[in-house]
Amino acid sequence: MKIFSDCYRCFENRRRWLILALLLLLFLCGWQLSRLQVEENISALLPDGNSVVANDFQLLQQAPFARKLVVNLKASSDISTDQLLDATDVLRDALPPELFKNAISGPGEELGLALLNKLGLYLPILAETEDLQRIDERLASNQIDQRLQIALSQLLQPQGVALKEKIRRDPLGLESIALEKLRHLNPVPEVRLERGHFLSRDGRNALILADTSVAITDSRGGQELLATFATARQQLPSGIKAELVSGHAYTHANATTIQKDMSRVLIASGVGVLLLFLLFLRSMRALFVYLLPLFSFAVALLVVALVYDQVSGITIGFGAVLLGITIDFGLHVYFALRKESASTEETLRSVARPVLFGALTSLAAFSVLLRSELPGQRQLALFAMAGIASALILALVFLPHFLGKQRVNQQVFRLQIKTHIYTRMPLLRITILMSWFVIILLAAIQMQQLSINGDLRKLSYQSETLRQNEADLTDAWGNMRGRALIFAKGKDLQSALRTNEQVWKLLKVQDQTGMVSLAPLLPSQETTQARLDRWRDFWAQRRAVVEESLIKHGHAYGFSAAAFDPFWSQVEEPPHEFGVEQLRQLGFQDLLDNLLLEDEYGYQFISLLPDNPELILALEGQLTSLPGVTLVSQSRFGRQLSHEIGADFNQFILSAGLAVLFLLLVLFRSLRPLLLALLPVLTGLVVMFGAMAWLGLELNLFNVVASILIIGLGVDYGIFMVCHGQQEQDLASARAVLVSGLTTLVGFGALVLAEHPALHSIGLTVLLGISAAVPTAVLVIPAFQLKRH
Amino acid sequence: MIKSRNRFFCLFLLFCIVPLVCYAEPLSDELELPEIFNRLQRAADETHSLSIDFVQEKHLAIFAETLISQGVFFYRQPDHLRWELLSPVLSGFVLRGQKGERWNGLSKETESFRIDRDPIMGIIAQQLLAWAKVDIDWLKSRYRIELLSSQPVRLQLFPRDQGETGFIDRLQILFAVDNSHVEQVEMHEVGGDRTLLRFENAQMNQPLPAEAFQAPEF
Repeated sequence: MKIFSDCYRCFENRRRWLILALLLLLFLCGWQLSRLQVEENISALLPDGNSVVANDFQLLQQAPFARKLVVNLKASSDISTDQLLDATDVLRDALPPELFKNAISGPGEELGLALLNKLGLYLPILAETEDLQRIDERLASNQIDQRLQIALSQLLQPQGVALKEKIRRDPLGLESIALEKLRHLNPVPEVRLERGHFLSRDGRNALILADTSVAITDSRGGQELLATFATARQQLPSGIKAELVSGHAYTHANATTIQKDMSRVLIASGVGVLLLFLLFLRSMRALFVYLLPLFSFAVALLVVALVYDQVSGITIGFGAVLLGITIDFGLHVYFALRKESASTEETLRSVARPVLFGALTSLAAFSVLLRSELPGQRQLALFAMAGIASALILALVFLPHFLGKQRVNQQVFRLQIKTHIYTRMPLLRITILMSWFVIILLAAIQMQQLSINGDLRKLSYQSETLRQNEADLTDAWGNMRGRALIFAKGKDLQSALRTNEQVWKLLKVQDQTGMVSLAPLLPSQETTQARLDRWRDFWAQRRAVVEESLIKHGHAYGFSAAAFDPFWSQVEEPPHEFGVEQLRQLGFQDLLDNLLLEDEYGYQFISLLPDNPELILALEGQLTSLPGVTLVSQSRFGRQLSHEIGADFNQFILSAGLAVLFLLLVLFRSLRPLLLALLPVLTGLVVMFGAMAWLGLELNLFNVVASILIIGLGVDYGIFMVCHGQQEQDLASARAVLVSGLTTLVGFGALVLAEHPALHSIGLTVLLGISAAVPTAVLVIPAFQLKRH
Repeated sequence: MIKSRNRFFCLFLLFCIVPLVCYAEPLSDELELPEIFNRLQRAADETHSLSIDFVQEKHLAIFAETLISQGVFFYRQPDHLRWELLSPVLSGFVLRGQKGERWNGLSKETESFRIDRDPIMGIIAQQLLAWAKVDIDWLKSRYRIELLSSQPVRLQLFPRDQGETGFIDRLQILFAVDNSHVEQVEMHEVGGDRTLLRFENAQMNQPLPAEAFQAPEF
């Protein structure tokens, strides 16, 4: 490592240049950071690219209610239904249309009668083969007699005036078969209609649905939306509460939490590191070491800001952790230079080797994350690598010039590690080794229980209020926001309709409860033609008999011979088509907007079904074998993501492990020190996984980052301690490892204070790993390898 | 010349009188209707319960002949109704507040309903209750009302509601001389069909048993 000692000599009398370079760097960082845009949403946590998981995630965003603003109004027991519906109208009208577009509180009162009168006309097109069988059953003589009795009874009642024309058109009640198709169109499971409003089954909840141009990931826009809603809600009378349930509330809650966490974590970790320095170092020179991570943090942010348009808040939060990593290099250089009696050049040459290889292993470990599916992980990897690289240069090139040659006062370092204590107390050595072995064994047994959880919602911050609002919505209306989606795609409307029909063929053999599909109401042209042909054949064979029967039974109840002429006109001249336009005219515009998507690539029909794992498993194989069909569901997505996390994790660990092994081989060129250097990292990982399983935690996306971090840090500790054992010079590595480990723990300890589950998860799990890696490096490696003298 | 002067005079009279007549008719309604509504309202306020028979004549194209049916109507304040046909088909409905049952004697089926979930039954119940209570405000909101005669009171109503105008052209309502109840309803439908309801044997403020508002058991 002659290069660093040469470098030191080169700048020994030119320190002004170094200071100038640092100031220039600071200016650059400050200028770039003033323009930095912090991304406060969770999109960095979500997969992008073209993987199955990324595509599924994009498709899940197309779910009808994922894009909607849903307002749930809840009435107390002393509020009547009329009062609730009146208040719903008041709130709906108070929502400004520029933010709450197309706000509706129900389909309107006209929809029911329009459907009743018009949809039945399309029975010839909507009737499937099994429906014709049902119609055939209704044409039996006794059935006709019974139907005409009912018709007569209805006509004599006051409501007869409204039903007369319908009875003339449909004396046998066949149109009800067409109306039954509507049961597959209810996207809100527990809804009933009253005064044209959506009302929950218990009559205590009403609903307002609206669209908005504010993107769900836009936290500022979401904040304005929520504030506007809060103002509008003040118009509600007492006894009626209204809550807005939409992705915006989650984005806002996440952004606010990340902001709070960022300041809390940065302050806490900064103060913690400062306290450690004051406790262990008590030297003004040590402040230069303290400045090193701040510089590397600024450089890392600068690099990330140059590469990305926006920097995730999670990346900045992770900066607190970097403080812990990058300070290690400075500490090793500091302790070595401040203690060693040899010249600075010589000491620097000795300490540069472990510091450089420590940094290289960390860089190699983090570099594997650059291939991650998650933009957040890629950004973190770049951030960490930039921070480590800059810390390495700062520690080996800049720092030695600012530390001076004064020796550390041994009295000041009160928690000094006695490196030769094992020689004096062999029993302690055996106790340490035994304890280590038992802990490893227990953790290894326990880690078998560790499971992987791919549920992204668990990584997103949810306040108690949000959770309660979501629970209230599900209680009142059923699970309207969490259903599985099937996309039937076609380059034109007809091909999409055909694909949607194929999907429905598979769905209808299952329990249809909770299924929503347009297929029963929107047949393709081929199906329409086939059904019309069947309809004509059907009546050609039966008309004479049925007509005679109708006249005979009708006469008995006083009906005229021409009473049902409109029925026969319908039979003879059915409508030619029933398509999107007709459905729109019947008042289904909103439903079509939700279940039929159109873009430059064509059309997509969405079917909804309960997100029941058994049902999804039963359908998955058949559905995915259909061309143009994609099935996505939260539960399936979670399973896929868990699988990918597992696969990614194995790949990352393997890649990082191989890279680290290669670097260790280059460094030590012998198996024994290599294995010893690996002890902290292996212990850290095993204890981390074991403790997670013991605490009932599950492995998530961010624990993958945590594992990489432990690999990077653990290997560093191993390298330093093994190099320390191999060299005759006292580089004060044990002291450096202890202080840097404590510094890292303080950094991660600060992350544990974070409320955001992702940050908290990183902090807690790495805390576990580092807590095991540091004692292993400081106590176990020396127990295996006593220092040469 | 005299002849032509007379013609001119006649035309002058015609042009003067016709607008006056046209103007006088609604003016008369405007003056009299509020008073008549008050009288009807006062009479209705004194009616706590009503039991009355009716004969219904259906002059509908769908039937070969005029179909005559008979039945009974019960009302008890504030919201109990029974409308029952006794012949030719035993059928009808009862209403108790928001809930009710309807039945058909031929099929021997009884079915529960709620007027807030059954729009057609909701409209029928509102209509019958409005007439039983003489809810003038509601009636005026639903119909344009003309006075045909004041003693006995005979009103002609034209629906305002778009849905109702699709079925009903106009209604003529004849009240009893003492205004205590409706005596005859004549409904003219859009296609020319007509229904006539004659009410008789009215009994006011007689106690009505609870069973009067229960569906029959088959």
